[in-house]
Amino acid sequence: MSGAATQLGTQTPPQPGLKLRALLLEDNALDAALVVRALFKDGFDVKAHVVQDEAAFTNALRDDSPEVVLADYNLPTWKGMEALKVIRQEGLDIPMILVSGALGDVTAVECIKQGATDYVLKDGLARLPEVIRRALREKEERSLRRKVQEDLARKADELARSNADLEQFAYVASHDLQEPLRMVTAYTQLLAERYRGKLDENADKFIGYASEGALRMQVLIQDLLAFSRVGRNGSTSNSVDCNAVMAEVLQTLSPAIRESGAVVTCGTLPTVWADRTQVAQVFQNLIGNAIKFRGKEPPAVSVQAEKSGEQWQCSVSDNGIGIDSEYVEKIFVVFQRLHARDEYPGNGIGLAICKKIVERNGGKIWVESQPGCGSTFKFTLPSHDPEGEEVAR
Amino acid sequence: MNSTEVDILLVDDSQEDVDLTLHALRSENLANRVFVARDGEEALEFLFCTGPHAERSFDHPPKLVLLDLKLPKIDGMQVLERVKNDDRTRTIPVVLLTSSKEDRDRMVGYNLGVNSYLQKPVDFDAFRKLVKLSGLYWLVTNQPPVANGKAYSAGQSK
Amino acid sequence: MTKSLPRVLIVDDNPADVCLVREALAVTERESEVSSVGDGVEAMSFLTRKEKFADAFCPDLVILDLNLPRKDGQAVLASMKAAPALRKIPVVIFSTSQLPKDIVRSYELGANCYVRKPGNLNEFFYAVRSIEDFWFGFVNLPPRGE
Repeated sequence: MSGAATQLGTQTPPQPGLKLRALLLEDNALDAALVVRALFKDGFDVKAHVVQDEAAFTNALRDDSPEVVLADYNLPTWKGMEALKVIRQEGLDIPMILVSGALGDVTAVECIKQGATDYVLKDGLARLPEVIRRALREKEERSLRRKVQEDLARKADELARSNADLEQFAYVASHDLQEPLRMVTAYTQLLAERYRGKLDENADKFIGYASEGALRMQVLIQDLLAFSRVGRNGSTSNSVDCNAVMAEVLQTLSPAIRESGAVVTCGTLPTVWADRTQVAQVFQNLIGNAIKFRGKEPPAVSVQAEKSGEQWQCSVSDNGIGIDSEYVEKIFVVFQRLHARDEYPGNGIGLAICKKIVERNGGKIWVESQPGCGSTFKFTLPSHDPEGEEVAR
Repeated sequence: MNSTEVDILLVDDSQEDVDLTLHALRSENLANRVFVARDGEEALEFLFCTGPHAERSFDHPPKLVLLDLKLPKIDGMQVLERVKNDDRTRTIPVVLLTSSKEDRDRMVGYNLGVNSYLQKPVDFDAFRKLVKLSGLYWLVTNQPPVANGKAYSAGQSK
Repeated sequence: MTKSLPRVLIVDDNPADVCLVREALAVTERESEVSSVGDGVEAMSFLTRKEKFADAFCPDLVILDLNLPRKDGQAVLASMKAAPALRKIPVVIFSTSQLPKDIVRSYELGANCYVRKPGNLNEFFYAVRSIEDFWFGFVNLPPRGE
């Protein structure tokens, strides 16, 4: 038997069959012929190329683009399993099926573990067509799956870019809007002061409305700026001791606390993995709200935490006016307010900011509430760096 | 007191004036973050983080230095010159608070880059008022090159 | 002896802001002489009394915005502090910017202080009044060079 390659089987089957380019790694011509005949009989329009050694195999891989490799386990100058390495080196994903004489079960399983797609015994060639069909099907599925993943990754990228653009726009718009707005605010206020009672009565009213509108716009733009800044300045996550953060937040809120007679109690708070400034913002907004949306009694606010899987769940409970269940989602939307402007101040951005921050840091935020019975806002944050090690506490 | 959280460095060797100044600052709630240095040498050690103040860092400068001129060891003008000629301390607001009304002192002071020059009034009440309003001006109206106790560096963007 | 009025130079390219500062200064009890210029090049001409500014006064205080055409506030500051005749004139940076780099760079260049321009009328007037009260009420200004 020479080492040269031989082409076999370009016979046409009885009816047009599935075209198949097969690369056979086999030193016995008869065995090779039997394999081709088995495929042909099962309806494959097979074009087979037979090789016996590594060099011929490698060349054939490159030249023929075979769809399947059928390899004998034992060859005079090579081992069938070595073919796998060559296939991988060429960066190809071609199913390799061992077609062999007696092969112990253990060896067979071992071969499959090492990457052979399947094996067929030479005295059981009737199975081969089905094995090939299945191998080809699985390869098809793999490609499809890969394509879907690539599409998904590309869409995620586009989405991220689009989001970044939007944030940039929101930031720039609100930033640039501040300057002309400042002019409008200052001068409508100046007009109001200088000319009060000096023009006709409508003038005072008109100027008043313009002034109020300008002031409201200023606050809106500042809030929008604050909202769009979340995550803009590259938040850095660290271990954050929430107790220390709370101390600072209470300090910042002390005028409001003093004025409302609020009592804020805290349990022992955990160390979380997040951006410190943002965590402070969340606590500040939630506690600030608890104080603001108070009922007839002085606000009683309780801040607690409990472990929830890999995260910490913090809660801020109050005895305030509560929220109707149909609004529990709406309140987290930017600029959504549930009350008239003169009932409670604010623009409705605080909770949107909290949501953005919590979600950016890998958590969730929600509220449990009944009108007239106070509210409990809960949010989760990771206890440690998801890519690192558990924080020592 | 944690010396990284100092808002005001008061450099004065007169106990009476120090007491008056602290009292005036206290009425505006600024007094608990004041460090008093009694001479120019200690003032420099404090600001340049050396000697007994080696644990201080240039990242946490005071928001304001109230500096008298007549000081033992190293006088106020020399302190001013050292502070304003060093990149690490140049941006710290320094206000001369001195009994001197010499034109020459004012000239030299402003030329060296003092942020402002205040003459200590002889009158008790006027002194207190001056300190109080100056404290408010420099710590509230003014934006010091410091936020949350940490110095801004020109390279940062927050 | 009549004490001459304190003299202020406002450097700001926004006429609306210049007008506001003038208004704020006008409502206080203290009288002052106020001039204004709209860009950094004019500011330097004024200070060095060049050409059309030959009769300009030497200001006791400069209120300087940062964002100016032709020559910006920080460049004006640098020029002022480099000129022996102008070096001692106190400069108050009055700007909407809160950027750390703007604040620290101003101090590095020798600004005496940095005051944020508030967005609200009352706060704006308050800020200008604070500046005026401090610099003309308490501070011993450098002796007038001329």
